[in-house]
Amino acid sequence: MKSLFHLVSRNNKIYRRDRTLVFLSLLSVFIVIILYAVFLQQTQVDAIQEMIGKSKAVKNMVNEWMIAGLLSITAVTTTLGAFGIMIQDKESKKTHDFLTTPLSRATIQLSYVINAFVIGLFFSLLAFVGCELFLVLSGSEILSGIVILKVIGIIILSVALSSSINLFLALFIKTQSAASTLNTIVGTVIGFLCGVYVPIGSVPNFVQNIIMYFPISHTAVLLRDAFMTDSIQTVFKNATPEQILEYKKQFGIVYEMNDKLVSTTNHLWIIIITTIVFTVVSIMIFKKQNK
Amino acid sequence: MSEQQGIIQVTNLMKSYGEFEAVKGISFSVKKGELFAFLGTNGAGKSTTIDILCTLLKKSAGEVIIDGYKIGEGVGNNHIRKKIGVVFQESVLDERLTVFENILNRGQFYNLSKHQIQENYQFVSDYLKLDDIQNKKYGTLSGGQRRRADIARAIIHKPTILFLDEPTTGLDPQTRLFVWDAIKRLQEETNMTIFLTTHYMEEASVANQVVVIKEGRLVAEGTPNQLKEKYAFDSVHLEFKHTFDPEPWLKEKQLSYALKNSIYTVRVASTLEAYDILKKLEGQIQSFEVVKGSMDDVFINIIAEKGSVV
Repeated sequence: MKSLFHLVSRNNKIYRRDRTLVFLSLLSVFIVIILYAVFLQQTQVDAIQEMIGKSKAVKNMVNEWMIAGLLSITAVTTTLGAFGIMIQDKESKKTHDFLTTPLSRATIQLSYVINAFVIGLFFSLLAFVGCELFLVLSGSEILSGIVILKVIGIIILSVALSSSINLFLALFIKTQSAASTLNTIVGTVIGFLCGVYVPIGSVPNFVQNIIMYFPISHTAVLLRDAFMTDSIQTVFKNATPEQILEYKKQFGIVYEMNDKLVSTTNHLWIIIITTIVFTVVSIMIFKKQNK
Repeated sequence: MSEQQGIIQVTNLMKSYGEFEAVKGISFSVKKGELFAFLGTNGAGKSTTIDILCTLLKKSAGEVIIDGYKIGEGVGNNHIRKKIGVVFQESVLDERLTVFENILNRGQFYNLSKHQIQENYQFVSDYLKLDDIQNKKYGTLSGGQRRRADIARAIIHKPTILFLDEPTTGLDPQTRLFVWDAIKRLQEETNMTIFLTTHYMEEASVANQVVVIKEGRLVAEGTPNQLKEKYAFDSVHLEFKHTFDPEPWLKEKQLSYALKNSIYTVRVASTLEAYDILKKLEGQIQSFEVVKGSMDDVFINIIAEKGSVV
């Protein structure tokens, strides 16, 4: 147990000292912020105001929508960046070297997962604090204690899910150049797969299905729901329940799969089961790779 | 485990990758505290054998016992890992950490307390002179400094056996000498068993025991002197005056010789025989050099004798 802690601390120190890796981990977050500031925000505000008329609260609601998506992708990109250490170790044969010590294969593997989780959680919580500050400064109500706890809980699940999926991907990457390519691809695609760049309702049906079957997008749904409950009530106070539901479906605040709305419990199950499956499969693959 | 049995016992070790047999049933034994040189051409199966001894690779057949524990059986591998230290050919330390941080981490992997690590650090620093580099990041070090750090890290837990895979390759002569001196001191003063692979035959010549493998098979073993007696020979290089033709004389004496660039290399049984030749040809010789048989000759002759070089 002690050696696991020391190995995690070593992985963490190396990640922190590799500024390129840290920058790459946060690249897609910067991209989202820039895209949002330049045109996404205004496009959405205009679209909603066309539906329900002009309201100051719309901008706050759209900000919350964007921030929920941003937090869901932060978990993905930061944990993937953290797995860069695992790939570096593999390429430079450090993993090989570790195996000559009493460290077990499971300990080595677990150390990368825990490190990715710690880094992902740190950056996601930091992003949450920053985003909440931005929301309050731009006129939103401060989140209630319960919502804050709810968001933190979802962030923890989101980071766990991202860690397990990224661990699986990292097992097949052997070089740092391949890792950079993967980082770039994930950083670009993740915004679409979580319905952050373009609302889910604006894409063709088959793309909607891809997004809905992509497990990480379920964390975005839960985060949007947590952030936006109050603002939706304010913005849509004169709207019909059908209009509200239509908006929620269009913007990925609820998912409708097989003509049924996916409940919060089911979203949670999807996240938890996917996390477990990817972790177990990854451990099996690692054991096979290092027989 | 008795002293006679050896701290490393390898019996009929085999390793195959599909159809390809990398190691074809080699057996040897390494005594506690000795410097053991494991030689072979590139692709001979050295690295595969070392990987098996270091518990990195599963053997296909045979038996390996290290410090009384069988590799691949029960908790054997874990015990063995506590007893060994490994320095790989390539640097595997963390470039962004300082030398001390690297060594500290390594000690922690063996569950050593901070106090124990500090104590052991003094011990390794005494051998490898780490004072000037301990706070420098590993990535900023020169080749020689890196090697010192590599070895220091490999012995921070005071292993019984140290595996060194070509530890002095690529180092300048002065650094090589320093590293080599540290290795020899470690062996002599701490009774640490050193398992060495090297391409420098002068390093192998100070080993207690040498094993040569080729194409996965053991082709020679013995002390450096035993191998030199069998596979190397002393010679005298002679350059004669232009007025003298030495060939009739050399043929008459039935001496084995070779001519290259007007220098005759005459094979002799000992340096005393060389002295005898020099005395007899005195007056005809322009210059001469007596050359002792070396481990280079041993290696080249073993590889040549046992078939083509890979």
